[in-house]
Amino acid sequence: MSGMNSGINVNDPTVVAAFKSALLHQGLIALLIFAVLGLAWITVRAWLPVAQAGDPAVPAGPAAAALAEPAWRQLLRIGFGLLWVFDGILQAQPKMAIGLPSQVIEPAAASSPHWVQQVVNWAGTTWSYHPMQAGAAAVWIQIGIGIWMLASVRGPMSRLAGLAGAGWGLVVWVFGEAFGGIFAPGLTWLFGAPGAVLLYVVAGGLIALPERAWHTPWLGRAILAGTGLFLVGMAVLQAWPGRGFWPGISHHQPGTLASMTQDMAQTSQPGFLSAWVSAFTAFDEAHGFAVNLFTVVALALIGAAFLTGQRRLARPAVIAFTVLCLADWVLIEDFGFFGGLGTDPNSMLPFALLALSGYLALTPGPAAAVQPASPEPAKSGWRERIRPASVRRSVATTSIRSVAAIGAFGLIILGAAPMAAAQTSPNADPILAQSIAGSAAALNFPAKPFQLTDQHGQAVSLASLHGKVVLLTFLDPVCTTDCPLIAQEFRAAGQLLGPAARHVELVAVVANPIYHQVADTQAFDRQEHLTQVPNWLYLTGSVPQLNQVWKDYGIAAQILPAGSMIGHPDIAYIIDRAGRVREELNSDPGPGTTATKSSFAVLLANAARHALRSS
Amino acid sequence: MNRRASLISLALAATILAAGCGSTASQTATPASPATRLSLATSLATATGTWAVAVLGGSAASHNNFWQLFVRPAGARRWRLATPPGVASNGGLVLAGLASGAVLAGFRPSQDLSYSPLATTKDNGKAWTPSLLDAGLADVAGALAADPASGRLLALLTGGTAEISGSGGTAWTRLASRHTLAASAPGRRCGLGGLTAAAFSPSGTPLLAASCVRPRTAGIFAYADGAWHSTGPALPASYARQSVTTLQLTTTGRTITALLAAGSESAARVLAAWSADGGTHWNLSPPLPLRGARPTSASFGPGGAVAVVMTGGHAESITSTAGSWRPLPALPARTATLAPSPSGGWDALAVHRAKLAIWRLANGTGAWASTQAIKIPIAFGSSG
Repeated sequence: MSGMNSGINVNDPTVVAAFKSALLHQGLIALLIFAVLGLAWITVRAWLPVAQAGDPAVPAGPAAAALAEPAWRQLLRIGFGLLWVFDGILQAQPKMAIGLPSQVIEPAAASSPHWVQQVVNWAGTTWSYHPMQAGAAAVWIQIGIGIWMLASVRGPMSRLAGLAGAGWGLVVWVFGEAFGGIFAPGLTWLFGAPGAVLLYVVAGGLIALPERAWHTPWLGRAILAGTGLFLVGMAVLQAWPGRGFWPGISHHQPGTLASMTQDMAQTSQPGFLSAWVSAFTAFDEAHGFAVNLFTVVALALIGAAFLTGQRRLARPAVIAFTVLCLADWVLIEDFGFFGGLGTDPNSMLPFALLALSGYLALTPGPAAAVQPASPEPAKSGWRERIRPASVRRSVATTSIRSVAAIGAFGLIILGAAPMAAAQTSPNADPILAQSIAGSAAALNFPAKPFQLTDQHGQAVSLASLHGKVVLLTFLDPVCTTDCPLIAQEFRAAGQLLGPAARHVELVAVVANPIYHQVADTQAFDRQEHLTQVPNWLYLTGSVPQLNQVWKDYGIAAQILPAGSMIGHPDIAYIIDRAGRVREELNSDPGPGTTATKSSFAVLLANAARHALRSS
Repeated sequence: MNRRASLISLALAATILAAGCGSTASQTATPASPATRLSLATSLATATGTWAVAVLGGSAASHNNFWQLFVRPAGARRWRLATPPGVASNGGLVLAGLASGAVLAGFRPSQDLSYSPLATTKDNGKAWTPSLLDAGLADVAGALAADPASGRLLALLTGGTAEISGSGGTAWTRLASRHTLAASAPGRRCGLGGLTAAAFSPSGTPLLAASCVRPRTAGIFAYADGAWHSTGPALPASYARQSVTTLQLTTTGRTITALLAAGSESAARVLAAWSADGGTHWNLSPPLPLRGARPTSASFGPGGAVAVVMTGGHAESITSTAGSWRPLPALPARTATLAPSPSGGWDALAVHRAKLAIWRLANGTGAWASTQAIKIPIAFGSSG
């Protein structure tokens, strides 16, 4: 999938350090947000006596009302809140900034239809272009949603937390999980279908339900029926012949399930976990038919029991389902986050939480005992609510949970805002190029003069470019790898400069002592679509002329034997308007992906702008 | 249960179920096997030497496989490396013989290089003169041809077009495309599939070879008087149910030699065809049944000699005067191609990583003898 993979090593020290630094800085801001809010809350409570407990003027606040939250909702809110926090922490893994598109998103979409890959590729490319901002955004948004859910017990803020969870979950399910793989072959509940985050979406939707729906008798039956119908469907798919789940071993190879668990067992994880998964693999290889039969029957029976909506059947079914989920989570999903780049604990915990909440919702609970949180504001209009006294009362009665929820919202903004700002630029973050090129060397000495011939056969000297910033590099016109990429980066840098490009000349000197005719440079220009770039010069000359320029600029153009291209260093010089060399960049394009090319173009354009400003 | 909730639950589960079922059931039919195709490994005999092309390398990755050119000067018994310098050869090398024993080598495009640098030698590869074809040579051994008399070149390009140059390899113009040739009267009669080789007749007429869908039709076309004419051999009735692909086409002296492949799977066979009058009349060899093997390389020698290397370490040869294919002794391991040897037999060029081993089968002997080994100084990793 083009664009998704930046090609940078996931452990690249430059990117990892920058990601850690971004998280640290944003973490400090997050702490500051909570500290300021906490301080403000304490101050308000100290200064406004109306907030004191036992004051008859203070209506029953959220703390009192929280008791009325039904158990099923409490379970979903706390369970999924903790899951979001955990997922956010997983997103802070150092490899995540570079690795998520290539090691999580791309494999997830690899076997999906083309249109799914297209959709996912867009998101992966976006992430690859701005790995710092995207990585940090995922961390803070998910931790923020989690804290928000945990802190907000009821009221609009709590419902909004559910909606935020559902909305973000949908984004992750579509773009991060490639629709949970539901359009890919081999769909099975055992491996996590229909995608863990879709269950987060469902949970978020349930948390966002209005309070009047909390105690309706149909809610529990609907949750269980939806889950039950899905499980029955999954049982049918599991039983479907030809999908590879029945045999433990097929053609001397592990069957679908054993193959999956075998791979899982080989990922890095504590030894005892690997041993458990390996043992299950061996068991499945030996008794594949029985394992699948058990799975099919269990899913079908549990699903059917859920579908009845009867409490006496649902209770043992929920217990059995929870046990099954836990067994699957340990033995097949391998806890979901060991090995590779785990982004969540996979689908079994959310499934168990959802089923359990459905069961709890079958019993309406003490709905009659619920007291309205604060009937007064509901009756009063907005004019009443913005009166200083009302505002003071609202502020004074704000609970610590509400403060935490506001802080959590701040966390989400903290993550989302830089990402949104980055999105306004279609160009990749220069950190990618910096990770390949290392730091540029700042220089200040007169550039050695030269006189060569351009691609149109006209004589060009460095002196004739005086007054312009020159981005100078050395390209082999018949090079198969780096040179075409560097030329594309130069062309893109020229475009990024906009009107300033008229003060910048993009110059390449031929770096091949054999293929150095003007016709060679013209063919190269046509190949790289440089013929219409007004400030592009591809210079060549006789071998003695070229040798002199190479010597002056530290280029060793080596003729290598046996079908190798000319060996020469990838270097770019930034020469200011006064003809002084101001910077030397390692222009090795690295993996040459769309992200790194864009990143190098930004780096070059920034260097040119800097030279324009400083001369 | 509330009716609306039930409906929503049903719809959700049904969608997921349908997605799962739908995604597992699709199994597209396997397409028909493509026509037999030879590798670029081949040889070329000129007045001043014998040339061979083979690929060496350290891994399956294309950027670590480097095509090499070897030459054995006329009168010499040993081969040497003669790959033109200055260009990465990962995409492949193709050869064409020029006048007076000069040789033109063309680099196929690879990675981000889309056009084909060329190099000419007049001294058996000691010095090369660079030039350029501003287009990519096709991935067939017969992608480049030269007319020694006029100095014109003919190139088969990626994308299925053919271009012809003026004298000396300058001023390239389009001669034909797969589309235009397929739309011509001879192209329609052939049911033209793809272009497979380019050559000049002894009188300098441009020739293009192709695969034909219509059975019993050998796709060889000559460009004369501003139009394309079918000039391939007429095949006997035994080919009435078999499509034919011209695998290679070459002109040596006054003789045009073609190697044809007919049929598929168990009925697949190859045959050689020779014409000494520019393609008007052809002599056909008997068919060589492949019996499950696949031809990988074809080489041509003096006197219309043809040698075909097949999978399974098997090779057969024939000359225009001999009546039948002659099996060669089991080839040395990893033989890439054969080249005519000074003694009238064949040299086998066997490649392994960065080493070329030469084995010689002298005429009339029954075993290959190791004669030479060359260590190639490949710069692994230099192409990416």
